[in-house]
Amino acid sequence: MKFTSEQLKIMDSIISRYPRSRSAIMPLLHYVQAIDGYVTERGIETIAEILNLATAEVTAVSSFYTQYRSEPAGEYHVGVCINTLCAVMGGDEIYESLTDHLGIENHETTKDGKVSIERIECNAACDYAPVVMVNWEFYDNQTPQSVKDLVDSARAGNPRPPTRGPSKLRTWKENSEVLAGLNDGLAHEGVSAGSASLLGLQISKNGGRQ
Amino acid sequence: MTPEQALLETEVAIEMITVVIDGFEVTVPKGTLVIRAAEKLGIQIPRFCDHPLLKPAGACRQCLVDIEINGRAFPKPQASCTIPVENNMIVKTQLTSTVAEKAQEGIMEFLLINHPLDCAVCDKGGECPLQNQAMSTGRPESRFEGVKRTFEKPISISSQVLLDRERCVLCARCTRFSEEIAGDPFITLNERGALQQVGIYEKDPFESYYSGNTVQICPVGALTGTSYRFRARPFDLVSIDSACEHCASGCAMRTDIRRGKTLRRLAGDDPSVNEEWNCDKGRWAFKYLTNRERVTTPMIRGADGELHETSWPEAIAFAAAGLKDKRAGVLVGGRTTVEDAYGYSKFARVALGTNDIDFRARPHSDEETSFLSRVALNLKTTYKDIDVADQVVLLGFEPEEESPIVFLRIYKQVSKRALPVLSDAPFASRGSEKLGAVLISDLSKIANLTTKSVVIVGERLAETRGAFSSVYELINKSGAKLAWIPRRSGEPGALAAGAIPTLLPGGRPVTDPAARVDVAAAWSVESLPTSQGRSTSEILLALNVKNLDAVVIGGVDPLDISSTALTQLLNSFVVSLEISHSAITAVADVVLPVAAVIEKSGSYLDWQGSPRVFEKAIADSLSRSDVRILSMLADEMGSPINLPTVSATAREIASLGKWDGTPVAFEKSVSEKITELGEKLNLKSWRLLLDLGTLQGGEANLAGTARKASAHISKARAEKIGVKSGELISISSELGSLELPVEICEMADDLIWVPRNSIGSQVIANLGFVNGQVKVIKA
Ligand code: SF4
Ligand code: SF4
Ligand code: FES
Ligand code: FES
Repeated sequence: MKFTSEQLKIMDSIISRYPRSRSAIMPLLHYVQAIDGYVTERGIETIAEILNLATAEVTAVSSFYTQYRSEPAGEYHVGVCINTLCAVMGGDEIYESLTDHLGIENHETTKDGKVSIERIECNAACDYAPVVMVNWEFYDNQTPQSVKDLVDSARAGNPRPPTRGPSKLRTWKENSEVLAGLNDGLAHEGVSAGSASLLGLQISKNGGRQ
Repeated sequence: MTPEQALLETEVAIEMITVVIDGFEVTVPKGTLVIRAAEKLGIQIPRFCDHPLLKPAGACRQCLVDIEINGRAFPKPQASCTIPVENNMIVKTQLTSTVAEKAQEGIMEFLLINHPLDCAVCDKGGECPLQNQAMSTGRPESRFEGVKRTFEKPISISSQVLLDRERCVLCARCTRFSEEIAGDPFITLNERGALQQVGIYEKDPFESYYSGNTVQICPVGALTGTSYRFRARPFDLVSIDSACEHCASGCAMRTDIRRGKTLRRLAGDDPSVNEEWNCDKGRWAFKYLTNRERVTTPMIRGADGELHETSWPEAIAFAAAGLKDKRAGVLVGGRTTVEDAYGYSKFARVALGTNDIDFRARPHSDEETSFLSRVALNLKTTYKDIDVADQVVLLGFEPEEESPIVFLRIYKQVSKRALPVLSDAPFASRGSEKLGAVLISDLSKIANLTTKSVVIVGERLAETRGAFSSVYELINKSGAKLAWIPRRSGEPGALAAGAIPTLLPGGRPVTDPAARVDVAAAWSVESLPTSQGRSTSEILLALNVKNLDAVVIGGVDPLDISSTALTQLLNSFVVSLEISHSAITAVADVVLPVAAVIEKSGSYLDWQGSPRVFEKAIADSLSRSDVRILSMLADEMGSPINLPTVSATAREIASLGKWDGTPVAFEKSVSEKITELGEKLNLKSWRLLLDLGTLQGGEANLAGTARKASAHISKARAEKIGVKSGELISISSELGSLELPVEICEMADDLIWVPRNSIGSQVIANLGFVNGQVKVIKA
């Protein structure tokens, strides 16, 4: 099945942002995920065609970056940080209990298609460790229980909002659109920097460390 | 200032830099990489990804050395294949630095962690840079005790190339070659980290015409050729330098033989011609030597109408009797060596007393004859002219299909400096797309030709009346460089050897008394035939109407010429010199087996006119070169040509030299009037590199990568016929028809293009012509 002319037009608008069309490959891959949920064959073939690249070149990029999925993601894609800091602060435990709770392993999706999980590397949010990301929105200072509640609320269709980011958690496909560079108009929602990030500033404003 | 002078001047201007490597000074041009500068001193730094013809990648890290500049040392060892020399640089390699030595050892250990202990069953074993450098740079024993990463092995990335991923050291030579040199980025490095691997997009195999080069430059046994896999060990092979017999690009080749059998062929190294590359046809199309039914014994047709094996003396006597004092012509195939072509040329004049000889086993014209005799013979254009050209104009010539190394050479300049390319092709082929060629509908669209422009004409220009004449004018006016690049390897040499109705060897016009005297004296004959002879089509016509009685044919497929060629010679006495059974041997009265290219010595002239000399690869072959057999035949006829060996022939050609008298004049032809097409379309075609050509027989793995035949028409035409892309259309002439799937592309509405000799699309056999009007309807 081909993409609709509407969708192709959006792809063109993404390409037009770059002086060299080839640079659009990454946002386009996100856009394909916004439509299909993962990088599909039609996605690779269409991108190759409109960017005048070989399909192998598109495959190289999409298989290199872990943000591109080669199989469908759940509506809520949960990434548990298992890099050093998060791991010791409880990330490993969160991951264990989450797989038990959902009955799925890394890169798998629940039968209802709602939740998929992935072990992810450091998200540059170590000061909020242990960190979990859902559709690339931050959930800071998590515990095994808070993450269980989080996925349960998501499966019930009413996900708990992220710690930072928009006031309502959006779906994997919706957020892929944002990564493709399409504006969801929600940039003003939520905090721009969390307390841990601002701690240093606070200290220096208070006259620095004594 | 000529381009040569300009080049020289730039060379003079190049800044030289002196560096110290392992305590020795070496001075090299600015920009030279440390690893190359070390080579100049004879210091070998181990490496995998480095390749002098590819851009530096620094992918494998095997070439680490210690470097300091102006007294400041780099904190860590550096990859010598990515760092250009600088003044006051001091380099210490593994020979003088324990840091470099240890770093290289460490990298080798890393590389071997996931490398299988596969050497015993690996094609590369015995000629493997990893094996060798593991010995020179690695530890005697592995410290790795974990489980090695494994992959399913092998996977086929095309029908002719296999990939064993666990052997790969991720040097990216193959992917860089495909992208940078061939412009076919169909293989890429996929995934990341420990899973990183070379791969294709599953539905699009590695079908590049140049894919074999990746097998050759892979520094391990990760990429192997399907046809060669598990066939031989390198130390059992005898390697012989040879030349490619397929096209006029003129690749230097290496042929590897084991006990009289060709096991593989590789690209040879000739910087002025093929650099270190070749095409897959040259590399893999050699099964015809053994696979098809070779003729090994002479045969004569008996009273029962059948061919019977016989002795050489009897066959020669029978042939001589059939030719002596008869009106006979000679048809020479397009892949004869210079020496063999000279043999045919001399045989025609001396033994048969005729100028009825032609090497063009393909559509040709009188205008072309004139162009070849007057213009093509004296061209001096070379690959170097392409390197410095300000534009390249392609006329009747598809370089990627018809002369692949010429294509690579043009492509190199296109990717390096956006060299402008014009082409008169009816649509943008894959090759044209890669070159970014601007398509022109007629020659009047060619502008801004300078003395640095290169105009390349192919053999297919003969199919457009008046085209050679226009080119002639264009070149005379502009002073642009001209090259004639026929598709087959033997044609430039056959032209020089006088296997054409207008010329004696060395470009001597048959109609010039002084030229004839020259040659007659050298050949010790009293006189030579004085009038211009018949061309291929005229010879066939004359045979048909009994104006000729006999014909000598060497290596010709009649269907390359016309649909009627075979029937035209049915009533004549046919002497066939052939390597294998063919359409001609099936009707011949005498069949004389000859040596194939690897069983004989000889030479070709590439399109530049440079000799590509090769020795016999199979030293103990009993097959003989055509010239030797023609010489026996001439002896038997009582008019000896005295060419007992290839080397004697080469000496005679050299001593005869080139004609320095007045050349024949070029006779112009006027272009055809465009005839009313009505509902019909004008058929255009050319041959694809990989197709049904005789010499590609028996190699299914190669054939598996051939481009599939489809008919190209414009969008408007497709709508008019009512077909969509991929649907079948029927193309018919008075003589026949063929059915092909449609490919819609940008082209003129009154044109249709189909491949000339591919599966499902053999234009001469199916439609009866290569150029003409056809009816096209939905099938
Ligand atoms: S397949 Fe060979 S050439 Fe290609 S990256 Fe691997 S080792 Fe290098
Ligand atoms: S480019 Fe021509 S000469 Fe070179 S290998 Fe291919 S067919 Fe042979
Ligand atoms: S380790 Fe988890 S965010 Fe850095
Ligand atoms: S040879 Fe230098 S990094 Fe590979």
